[in-house]
Amino acid sequence: MSKPKIGIFGLTSCAGDQLMILNCEDQLIDLANAVDIRDWEMAKTNNDEECELDIALVEGSVAQVRDIENLKKIRKRSKILVAIGTCAVWGGIPAMKNDVPRDIMLKEVYGDKVEFIESKAAQPLSSFVKVDYNLPGCPIEKDQFLQMMASFLNGDMPEILNFSVCSECKMKENICQIVYKQEVCCGPLTVAGCGARCPSHNVPCSGCHGPIEEVHYDAEAKMFQRKGIKPEEIIRKMQVYAAPAWMPEKLMEELQHESK
Amino acid sequence: MKVVKLPKSKVEEFLSSLQDFGEVIIPKEKTEHPGVYYFDVMENPSEMAWEYLRTIIPPKKYLHKPREVIFKFHKEQGYQEVIEDKETKRILFGLHPCDIHGIKILDVVFNRDYMDPYYYARRKNTVIIGLSCLPDEKCFCKSMNTDYVEDGFDLFLSDIGEDFLVAVGTSLGDDLVAERAHLFSEVEEEDRRKYLAFRKKRNESFRLELDISDLPYILDLEQKSPIWDELGKRCLTCGSCSMVCPTCYCFNVYDTLNLDAKSGQRIKQWDACLFKDYALVAGGHNFRENRAERVKNRYYHKQFRMVEQYGKPSCVGCGRCIDACPAGIDVVEVLTKVREGSYVTH
Ligand code: SF4
Ligand code: SF4
Ligand code: SF4
Ligand code: SF4
Repeated sequence: MSKPKIGIFGLTSCAGDQLMILNCEDQLIDLANAVDIRDWEMAKTNNDEECELDIALVEGSVAQVRDIENLKKIRKRSKILVAIGTCAVWGGIPAMKNDVPRDIMLKEVYGDKVEFIESKAAQPLSSFVKVDYNLPGCPIEKDQFLQMMASFLNGDMPEILNFSVCSECKMKENICQIVYKQEVCCGPLTVAGCGARCPSHNVPCSGCHGPIEEVHYDAEAKMFQRKGIKPEEIIRKMQVYAAPAWMPEKLMEELQHESK
Repeated sequence: MKVVKLPKSKVEEFLSSLQDFGEVIIPKEKTEHPGVYYFDVMENPSEMAWEYLRTIIPPKKYLHKPREVIFKFHKEQGYQEVIEDKETKRILFGLHPCDIHGIKILDVVFNRDYMDPYYYARRKNTVIIGLSCLPDEKCFCKSMNTDYVEDGFDLFLSDIGEDFLVAVGTSLGDDLVAERAHLFSEVEEEDRRKYLAFRKKRNESFRLELDISDLPYILDLEQKSPIWDELGKRCLTCGSCSMVCPTCYCFNVYDTLNLDAKSGQRIKQWDACLFKDYALVAGGHNFRENRAERVKNRYYHKQFRMVEQYGKPSCVGCGRCIDACPAGIDVVEVLTKVREGSYVTH
């Protein structure tokens, strides 16, 4: 099999996921040998911006008007399109305050005259194009990224994890932030993959990998309220990373309902 | 059963000397979280948390590992079996009766009708030394008939004040004592009285009770009870209860591949019936699609099907799941309410 042609792109983002790929120092040579990186503006010169690609890895959310066209163009060139990082998968941090109109936000941040940026409410890639695989994380985990690439190289689709951070947290034998510290921990709602990074450092999970398939919003809301934690506090916490994934729906409704 | 006496003043020497045999695993206290315990390799006998009650994860983690490689494969070179810790001789020290019963149940599951070579390889190199305990408000081993052990250990230490009475359970245990004969002495009349007094005090200390008489029968009658839906509304299916349970043994098997595109390894990793994909099969059918069915399964497997299959429930009353559940679901409360036919979530 000839080497798959790869493109790596960033929309509106902090470039953290692309940096994570570069951080795979021990495996970078193996990776570079296994694939043919044709287009990666952040890491190399002489990019071919038109060629067809076997795999496109796209970081960032669609938060500027020009992101839409760029994304559609990438989709057209690529057999497999992968959303890498929570911004691409769920909207991420840029989507934290989608409820505030963009013009108000722009004015607050940049003052009256803003000409250089056409900002819009941040959305995940899947709102505009077909996404073949989602690799969440803020940033992505090296191991998960390499596993995913190895699966593609073997002509396979990577596994989709569908259990929460709690299981990894317990395997690490951490104390539970909810039980022992009455903290708002997003672990039960959040998809595994990080090895429970935050609780392993005695900090509650802030949900940076986004939700599992079957999130139990109402149970979570009721649980925190039984513990006397205010709905605003839960919302604030959960809004940080994957707001579009959980905010508009059930949780808000439940919390508002509960607080009455 | 032979019983000898070990003065507390000599117990650290005893612990150190066990390192001649192999790796010694003891309960330790988390420095940053007083009162929270975990099993770990002993560096120094002073680390031993004598007063510990339950660890976050039971000692099953040394026999049925959270995650292990079971073989490696290569397109040209074929496959190569891996059994992790195969050569490690290990002493699990300080196990309370519930955890010894937990291992006895795992032994039946992994070694009786079907031999699991990974579990077996580690199990046969494992020595078990038990330690007596006093229950707290989450212990209900007495109700589960797992508060004492007659077998399943090599040695068992009971605290009678100044000394430990050491019950010898196997010939290997006998060797461990004989090789260190200078540390032990004969049991005297006064020690017997102290032991009986300790036993009485312990029996009277249990605060949590669960009636398990004809429980499988009741569970069968309550298959359609609204309780299971109520629980389904409350449970987050986070799987914590299962991860920390000394008798939960489910695992998933999957491959991870390498970047050379021709090799990889097969992984065995803890799984739980609470997880959505647990009962998902090829073609997309899920046998327990519904959350309530998955929570219910945990109770029915432990208290109903295990009794049918092996003659005993697979709960040893250690209280770990009560401690671990972020949603505050309590196995004793649930089963009591099933029996009473009452359950209201709050
Ligand atoms: S600390 Fe958070 S992630 Fe860990 S078990 Fe508790 S709720 Fe789950
Ligand atoms: S514990 Fe939660 S917030 Fe921390 S890295 Fe993992 S998913 Fe992200
Ligand atoms: S079900 Fe709960 S109390 Fe029973 S053995 Fe498992 S963790 Fe312990
Ligand atoms: S620990 Fe509690 S919330 Fe989590 S799966 Fe078990 S019963 Fe459900």
